Amino acid sequence: MNNYEQLAKKIVQRAKKKGAKQAEAFLEVGRQSSCRVRDGEIEDLTEATSKGVGLRVITKDNRLGFAFTSDFEPSSLDVFVDRALQLAQTAAPNKLNGLPTAKELGKAGETGELYDAAVANLAGDWKIKSALEMEKAGKAVDPRITTFASVGAGDYVSEVYMASSEGLSGGYAGTYVYLYASPVASENGQLQTSQWVDYKRFLGDLETPEMVGQEAAKRAVRMLGARSVKSQQVPVILDPLMAASFVDNLSSAADGNAIYKNSSIFVGKLGKRLAPESVTVVDDGLLKRGLGTSPFDGEGVATRRTPILEKGVLRSYLYDSFTARKAKAKTTGNASRGYRSLPHIGTNNLYLEAGTRSPEEIIREVKSGFYVTAMLGSGANPVTGEYSRGANGLWIENGELAYPVQEVTVAGNLLQMLQDLDAIGSDLQFRGTVGAPTIRFKQLTVSGD
Amino acid sequence: MPRATTARPKRPTPAQLAPLASRQTASAPLLPQPLLERLLAVAMEKGGEFAEVYVERALTTAVVLEESRIKSAQSGVVQGVGVRVISGAKVGYAYSDDLDEPALLRAARTAAMIAQGGGSEQSFKVSRTPSPSYYKVAMPLAEVDVARKAELVLRADKAARAFDRRVKQVNGTYADNTKRIAVANTLGYYTEDTQDLCRLSVQVVAEGKNKERRTGFFGGGGRVSFSHFDSFTPEQVGQEAARQAIATLGAAECKAGPQTVVLAPGWSGILLHEAVGHGLEADFIRKGTSLFTGKVGEKVASDLVTVIDDGTVANSRGSINVDDEGMPGERKVLIEKGVLKGYMYDTLNAKLMGQRSTGSGRRESFKSMPLPRMTNTYLAPGDHSPEEIIKEVKSGLYCAHFGGGQVDITNGNFVFEVSEAYEIEDGRLGRPVKNAILIGVGPEALKNVSRVGCDPMPDPGLGTCGKDGQSVPVGVGLPTLRIDNMTVGGTKVS
Repeated sequence: MNNYEQLAKKIVQRAKKKGAKQAEAFLEVGRQSSCRVRDGEIEDLTEATSKGVGLRVITKDNRLGFAFTSDFEPSSLDVFVDRALQLAQTAAPNKLNGLPTAKELGKAGETGELYDAAVANLAGDWKIKSALEMEKAGKAVDPRITTFASVGAGDYVSEVYMASSEGLSGGYAGTYVYLYASPVASENGQLQTSQWVDYKRFLGDLETPEMVGQEAAKRAVRMLGARSVKSQQVPVILDPLMAASFVDNLSSAADGNAIYKNSSIFVGKLGKRLAPESVTVVDDGLLKRGLGTSPFDGEGVATRRTPILEKGVLRSYLYDSFTARKAKAKTTGNASRGYRSLPHIGTNNLYLEAGTRSPEEIIREVKSGFYVTAMLGSGANPVTGEYSRGANGLWIENGELAYPVQEVTVAGNLLQMLQDLDAIGSDLQFRGTVGAPTIRFKQLTVSGD
Repeated sequence: MPRATTARPKRPTPAQLAPLASRQTASAPLLPQPLLERLLAVAMEKGGEFAEVYVERALTTAVVLEESRIKSAQSGVVQGVGVRVISGAKVGYAYSDDLDEPALLRAARTAAMIAQGGGSEQSFKVSRTPSPSYYKVAMPLAEVDVARKAELVLRADKAARAFDRRVKQVNGTYADNTKRIAVANTLGYYTEDTQDLCRLSVQVVAEGKNKERRTGFFGGGGRVSFSHFDSFTPEQVGQEAARQAIATLGAAECKAGPQTVVLAPGWSGILLHEAVGHGLEADFIRKGTSLFTGKVGEKVASDLVTVIDDGTVANSRGSINVDDEGMPGERKVLIEKGVLKGYMYDTLNAKLMGQRSTGSGRRESFKSMPLPRMTNTYLAPGDHSPEEIIKEVKSGLYCAHFGGGQVDITNGNFVFEVSEAYEIEDGRLGRPVKNAILIGVGPEALKNVSRVGCDPMPDPGLGTCGKDGQSVPVGVGLPTLRIDNMTVGGTKVS
């Protein structure tokens, strides 16, 4: 047991001694380094270490208190424990307040490796070289790439330690490494940009800087000459990156907190068919090499694989232990958090399962439609299901990507959109913790001229 | 469902709640001046041109309400130091949340590495620069009894539920932050500032016929004393959130395509923030990634449009006595009668562009480098009454309340989510419509501004702006505004 794991335990013990019925400490330690370049030179370099701990207490009369600190001086830590207990006096008693029991915590599943020594020990100049390579590869794609809004690389090593009065004690370490490029293309006074990124736990899984730089540049250049189109209802295709943000919108409708508050379009729909058979959406905390993979969630509960939609049928909501108790259900290991916040419901590795069709085929079948590659705005309102976003992309004419489009919106309703999902690509990809393949909706409203 | 009366918590006495920040510690420097000077000297060891030390200690408190009771009360302390070294156009940055001298010296040495020169043993002296004061508070918010904060949220909940029986859910949050910063740099500047900030906000879900659900959201605050909520009452907040949700029950589908839109005053100012504000930030200009690059002196908006970014507005959410580089907050005219006057600069971009800082260097915390950012951005009033402006519109859309917005500063496309909207027919407000969003290209939208109201209004203190992953509080403001030929994203195609 290392010092931080012991520190988490000591904080819990002190809280108990000071009168807490239950206590839980969540401690994070991180080390990060990043680099950006510009015109073949370093623009900036950042290096840092950080740490912090959050303490959740439940008092004997079932009130909830929470405090966090990044100040690990012993005297400050004592004040912080007292503070969590004092704050609880302001909260209302609630019998459902409580930490996960030993049974709820469960036994951690098989996560596989989360830590890549190659990332943790990356040579100091790897990031500089990679960023320079991305910039160079991007510029080489087309002379109309005039500059970059940003281009950079970074890594992050994080350790999490938890302890609770209910027998929780554990920790894990993980690595993260990323590349991103945002080039600017210009022609005839019009400027266009794109954002392209890869983000992985393992260096070996990361695309090469050359691939990231080239793809970013292609995506910016093909938007040159973009214009608006007439308002109309047409088939709309989302590329994998945009499809991932749609899948993320779906997960907020499955949030157990929204469910018990009757604040989601998914309320009362468990077991019902909401989408075609080809649609399966899963949250998997144990996905091998996944960016969001971990042995336990933000309150120590073993993570697992939870199908939200299975073959089009709504199978599960996402719960932490409190919302599960509210719903008389079981936690799904979806408590998400940093040390500065109480657990809230979030996803681990969330994805829409790949289909069998190639993206080219999905586009080819569309006579007139919209292929979306970038969006603005927050997306869906899970309470009403309304979906409305600004969109950029390419117009499809007779099965071909014909010309770039901007200054339009796409709109629909989540429930209707689910039913209208009429094609799913075989190109599932993750560029973060949410993954999706190319998807097509039978019809959405495109608003423009 | 439990009601507020049964769930009201027992109040702890102020003595039980040890204040996080006592008055004594509030006047002591965050770091001793000799240590600041030592860190600057170490940061310059490799031959950097400029070094800066930023120290921060922030105390936050939050109270969360659900189902008419206080679900949790929370608080936290975050502190740390960021060291920045500039060498030409290159920047080295390191931070530490460990305030031990060895950890800070390590951070200074790490940041210093950006410069590759030899070790010059130089010492630096800084002297305290007095700063203006735009947001004095009676008592630091961190010291206000947390039970009083809980009381605000409970009152807002009660008012929202009393507003209409169709109000089914009320979620409330009160959050505050007492942040102290100190900035010292190798030009000899050394400033300190204390920045209190609070916000009360309420989200309401109403349920109408056929289980139709609508949401409403309202709140506000600022860099204010806690007594702000004596006049900006939690009852107003709760009622307004409920009113929005109820008013939009039964809303019709919104028509897609270009329309004349009239924006209600206040929070609609985020249109300005997105449509032009970001595009006038100097980093985008220097890199040539903003479509406003090289356009100073050119006409970029209608004659009716004068846009001001003002960090000196009393007690406003976006105000700053000094920015996060220690430069005083300023009032800047960005666009005057449609003509672009200038950009917003932090010190780095100002230096590289041969300009001076406009006090716009802001950062989320010690973990981030400062970027040129907005403070309070608003449109100067015109001379039409709001009634007149609506009366003149034959057919259009009245946008009463707004969600968030986003902009792509490169192609200028921005969106602006409308949470409460009404059709305008023959100069009168008609039925509510749902799921509307406005989309445009910044300068084009501003050229289509055809009426500006005489009713300037700051937003109630809700805004948080994100850029490069950094969030900072901002203010916005707009009088009633008419924009012609604005693309409205809807679901109905005629």
